Amino acid sequence: MSTSLEAFASPARRLPGDLAMWFFILAELTVFALLILTFAVAQALQPQLFHASRQLLDSSTGLALTLSLLTSGLFAALALEQVRQARASRAAWLLLAALLSASVYVLLKLGEYSHLAGAGLGIEHNTFFTLYWMLTGFHFVHVLLGLLILGWLAERCRRRAYGPDNCSVMESGVLYWHMVDLVWVLLFPLVYILN
Amino acid sequence: MSASNTLILCWLGLAALSVTSVQLGNTGATLLMTGAVLLAALGKAWLIADGFMELRHAPRMWRWLLLGWPLALVAGVLLSLALRG
Repeated sequence: MSTSLEAFASPARRLPGDLAMWFFILAELTVFALLILTFAVAQALQPQLFHASRQLLDSSTGLALTLSLLTSGLFAALALEQVRQARASRAAWLLLAALLSASVYVLLKLGEYSHLAGAGLGIEHNTFFTLYWMLTGFHFVHVLLGLLILGWLAERCRRRAYGPDNCSVMESGVLYWHMVDLVWVLLFPLVYILN
Repeated sequence: MSASNTLILCWLGLAALSVTSVQLGNTGATLLMTGAVLLAALGKAWLIADGFMELRHAPRMWRWLLLGWPLALVAGVLLSLALRG
């Protein structure tokens, strides 16, 4: 049985991907919302501590992390567009570009984690860093899973497994990656910028 | 406009809003700055949801569910800041 929502939607409107993926995305967004709101409440309770601790993070690194994720999202979206135009080979190359751009995020984040751990700013340092490691670490795990999905989709595109009439799985995989972007654009200002 | 061009325009908007957020953050800690940074985050979430995730063409319920997520979070952050003040 198809899990597409098309049957429930008006003919002009269409939900891309599989309905199960959308429920998964909603569940993930709920968990992230709880973590982000916990961070916001803790910040309200200890404003000086959060202000001082945030100064130890480099906002330009945060910006580079953001741009690498967003660029990867663009490449993934362009790849899906190519599949819809029956250009699976081009889509594979674009997914590879998305993978490379996401790898920049991983390298930068690992560098930041290494720098913070080396400076003694680990998960037990204070409330800010406990929540920083939990929130960004949970997101980082999602990025790593996204890398696997992008790599798998690239390989499937290289084998021409998807086409204009058969791209629901590809849509679902790309949607997951955009969810990772969506979470980051809210997480980034809260952790790196707001004072 | 082709779908690819729309996606590239979305990315340009996202990049511009990201750079603007960091620049705003460097100007100081005022309520106006906080509001502007959160507004930029909302704009980015909208570009991702409607542009990258193609929710502008999706059933309204799903579109508003996804757009409601950043709205609820920004409201929560603003509320926490207001209670602190």
